[in-house]
Amino acid sequence: MNGHVKSMHFQQFMELATTLLSFLLVMAVDSTRTAAASRNQQCGNSLQRTSNLTRLVHKESVDLIKTYKASQGEMSELFCKVSVNNIPDPNISGMEPSERIVSIYTHLQAFFPHLKRVYEQQTDLQLPTSQLLTQLNHVSGHSKNLAALVKIFYQSLFPNLPVPVPAGGPTTLPPPQNVFQQKVYGCVVLKTYKEFLSNVSQELKTLRSQVCRRRKQINTLLLRMT
Amino acid sequence: MVSARVLQLLVLACLGSALLARGDRPGKPENLSCIALQRQTFISSNISCSWVPVGRQTTDVPTTYTLFLVYTDASYNVSTHENSAQINTNVFPNFMELEIWVEAHNKLGAIESEHLKKDAGYFVKTNPPADVKVIPENFPTSLLINWNRPISKQNLGLTYQIRFRPNGSQSWTYVPLVDTARDILSFRLQNLKPHTVYVTQVRCKNAKEGYGQWSEWSTSATNRTPEKRPTSKPDLWKIVAEGDSINERRVRFMCKDPVSANGRIIRFDIKIQNQKDKVKNGSLDWERIPVNRSEADSSSNQREITFLKEIHLADKKFVKVYVTASNSMGKSAPAFLAIPEKTHELAPVEELRVFPERGQLLLEWKPPNNTSVSEYVVEWVTGDKIDWKRENRSTSRTAIRGNLEKFVCYTISVYPIYSGWTGKPASVEAFLEQGAPLEGPIVRLKGKPGRNEAELVWTEIPQQRRRGFITHYTLFYTSGTEVHAVRVPANTTSYTLKSLSGNTKYDTWINASTIQGSKSGFNHSFTTLKYAPGEIEFIVVGVSLGFLFVVVMTMLLCLYKKDVLKRNFWPQIPNPGESTIGNWSPDYPLKSETPKENCLSGISVLNVCDGKSVFEEDKTSLPLKKDKYLSEEHSSGIGGSSCMSSPRQSVSDSDEGGDMADTTASTVQYSSVVASNGYKGQTPSSQPQQAIFSRSESTQPLLDSEENPDMLVQEGSKQSHRFPQQPCFTHTVGNEDGSNPADFNQLEMERHEVLEPMHFCPLEEDSEQTTPTDDQSADWLPAAQVSSYMPQLGGYRPQ
Repeated sequence: MNGHVKSMHFQQFMELATTLLSFLLVMAVDSTRTAAASRNQQCGNSLQRTSNLTRLVHKESVDLIKTYKASQGEMSELFCKVSVNNIPDPNISGMEPSERIVSIYTHLQAFFPHLKRVYEQQTDLQLPTSQLLTQLNHVSGHSKNLAALVKIFYQSLFPNLPVPVPAGGPTTLPPPQNVFQQKVYGCVVLKTYKEFLSNVSQELKTLRSQVCRRRKQINTLLLRMT
Repeated sequence: MVSARVLQLLVLACLGSALLARGDRPGKPENLSCIALQRQTFISSNISCSWVPVGRQTTDVPTTYTLFLVYTDASYNVSTHENSAQINTNVFPNFMELEIWVEAHNKLGAIESEHLKKDAGYFVKTNPPADVKVIPENFPTSLLINWNRPISKQNLGLTYQIRFRPNGSQSWTYVPLVDTARDILSFRLQNLKPHTVYVTQVRCKNAKEGYGQWSEWSTSATNRTPEKRPTSKPDLWKIVAEGDSINERRVRFMCKDPVSANGRIIRFDIKIQNQKDKVKNGSLDWERIPVNRSEADSSSNQREITFLKEIHLADKKFVKVYVTASNSMGKSAPAFLAIPEKTHELAPVEELRVFPERGQLLLEWKPPNNTSVSEYVVEWVTGDKIDWKRENRSTSRTAIRGNLEKFVCYTISVYPIYSGWTGKPASVEAFLEQGAPLEGPIVRLKGKPGRNEAELVWTEIPQQRRRGFITHYTLFYTSGTEVHAVRVPANTTSYTLKSLSGNTKYDTWINASTIQGSKSGFNHSFTTLKYAPGEIEFIVVGVSLGFLFVVVMTMLLCLYKKDVLKRNFWPQIPNPGESTIGNWSPDYPLKSETPKENCLSGISVLNVCDGKSVFEEDKTSLPLKKDKYLSEEHSSGIGGSSCMSSPRQSVSDSDEGGDMADTTASTVQYSSVVASNGYKGQTPSSQPQQAIFSRSESTQPLLDSEENPDMLVQEGSKQSHRFPQQPCFTHTVGNEDGSNPADFNQLEMERHEVLEPMHFCPLEEDSEQTTPTDDQSADWLPAAQVSSYMPQLGGYRPQ
């Protein structure tokens, strides 16, 4: 009888333990789903910010080129058709989203010295109140903000990966140039930067569908398992 | 050592308490808010923040505020003692998450406000939308609004808000935000009124809900909706006035544009029908009355009044009128109005009351007993201005608002309308607001002033100058010392001042009063008369009557008291018988004919008057008499005393001194004309008569009969009409002793026989008692006549 009683006590204990385990499992899944949803929302917000700022900088770069061409005098259209060395590649490299995001970040960092050089050159060529200088300043400033957003986005997506650093060492700037070369250089930099931003914008759209949606799918899978 | 440490602690405690007494730790700043305004095509890099400080701040312990702004790797801060600050970021950090807070710190501590952690777009306030345009389309009830973004959509996603109102209206209609939540650049307003000018405005903000601040409203864009056919009737009304002839009315028809004119009215069509369904215009066609309205007129809220037509309508006839209004898109439904026969006008409203209240005139009335009233027309008229409004049949209280002027009298009438037929109006006058009159009445004198009263009349103040209902007039008048006031009713235009002083200048003026004040008119001066009208005439007549009375009384006195007067004014004449003339006869022997001579000698004076008034029957003997009288008696100029000579003249000689006549008797000569043939019988004597003149040496005065021949004549005429101008003989018995009564009687008999037609003046008796009066004359005459004949006897000379 004692054994039978012990057996019954054991069964009751097992039922209670099963219930508790089930409850804990539900709680765990729910917290995981909440965390995933939060992360997904964070992904969307961060990506949205980055995309919005990318479009803004791109739009500003478009306007900047128009202003630049208008402010450089005759044959301004020809300036932009000349190829210049040591200008960052506007294309985004990498296979994985993390690699492509890092590529975006490193390219942005690579363009900053060139934008700065163009600003310095145009400061000598334009009046201080020139709209071109203002626009250059805005593009440079917003680009830095964009780089910061990309970095935040990357960290939010890949918190365990190392923070991307510019590859290939410091950016190589062109040697001292004459005015014509400066004009050509500036136009090519801006044009290339505009292309780059266009690529970034497109890339971010792709990332939105790849990264943030995949996270959503993962979350959905987790929910089905529970 | 221990004491030094205790002292040190005490000093520190004092310092701490002193610092605490002079200030507090800063409070936590509240209500932190920041804003970034648009500059050109960008958002300004200057972010302005403000907050509300909390806690006591003193100059001894000033509080410093540090504003922090942090995003990603960037960090900015700025310190100030004010409650606001501005941070300049190189470029506005679009799409970056900003964290902003303010830290208040002083010597006693520091504290941070709540952190604002928002997207940068949260703080943006853009410019209002640019180039807002309103475009009319083919639909009369819609307008299309277009605008441009104030900033690129890459900078900020925007949402918009639209509001619109009819031009002239003060209330805006807002388009629901859900309709404009999308990032749109145009919107179509619908369900608008046709041909109405609308004003539209647009503003914008960050499209993200709860983010950003609304921009200011854009500049107004205005346009008019297209026209549409009038969808309501014109408001037809009339003015009825007295006609040029009796039993005729002059009716002027007018109308207001339809409420829903839906366009610019270009024409009214009118049709007037009399009771026989004959059109007054001569045909059944509508008469066109074009109107020329400007766009401003048609767009104003004030509905234009158009006078359409004037007709003369007999009192015993009615008329029906139809009017339509047309714009460029079509014609309205006809409005109908009927003017009934004058005697068939239906009952008016009752107990109409009008009272002003808060800039409007409130009306109340009771509907007429007739329940078939379809609507009411409230009409208000002042001068040549007229306006009206319609109220439905259930209305018994309404207000006239809007274009009423203060201090203007309005005649307000309420007409019941019975299915288009006008009823009798009920009318009252009212002011929206009363004031003191602008001018006073002009007073003047009516006619001429009297001695104690003057009638004043004044003109009523012109209606436009009254500015209120005249409650009363106050009439002032003064003669320089005291001002008198008389209050008279408002319906009075004349007043008679009484109890005035005569021959006094008065100034008078009139105050006209309303409930809000009064106004004096100009002074008018007048002077009262010295004498009242008729007073002079009364005095003259009175004096004249008095004088006449005195004269009459004097004459009566003279007549009735002549004896008394005579005695008073003329002394008693001594008896001539005592005169020496009785013994004096110069030529004639007196002794031989003593009795006769004596008798004759008793006549001291003989006056033979002219026989001008002798009766006709005696005229035949006049020549003879004349001859004798003239030749004998008129020649008695001796002594200046004769019949022709005035006895008064003789008396006047003695009058020169009545008393003197007594005292100076010796100086007065009396003459006696002794006619031998004193009596001239009807038988002429063939022998010439010899006259005897004898002059008396008597100094006695003459008899009364000589002095007042006129009186004697008058009396004689009274006594006998048959002898109006008989020669008078004044006889005084010369010798009473010698006179024989028998002889006297005989002589009298003879006298009666011979001298019957002759008149003899009554003989003056010596005694005063013999003086007759009128009453006594009848009794007195016979006795007197006896003696009066005596001289004739003496004077008779047988021929």
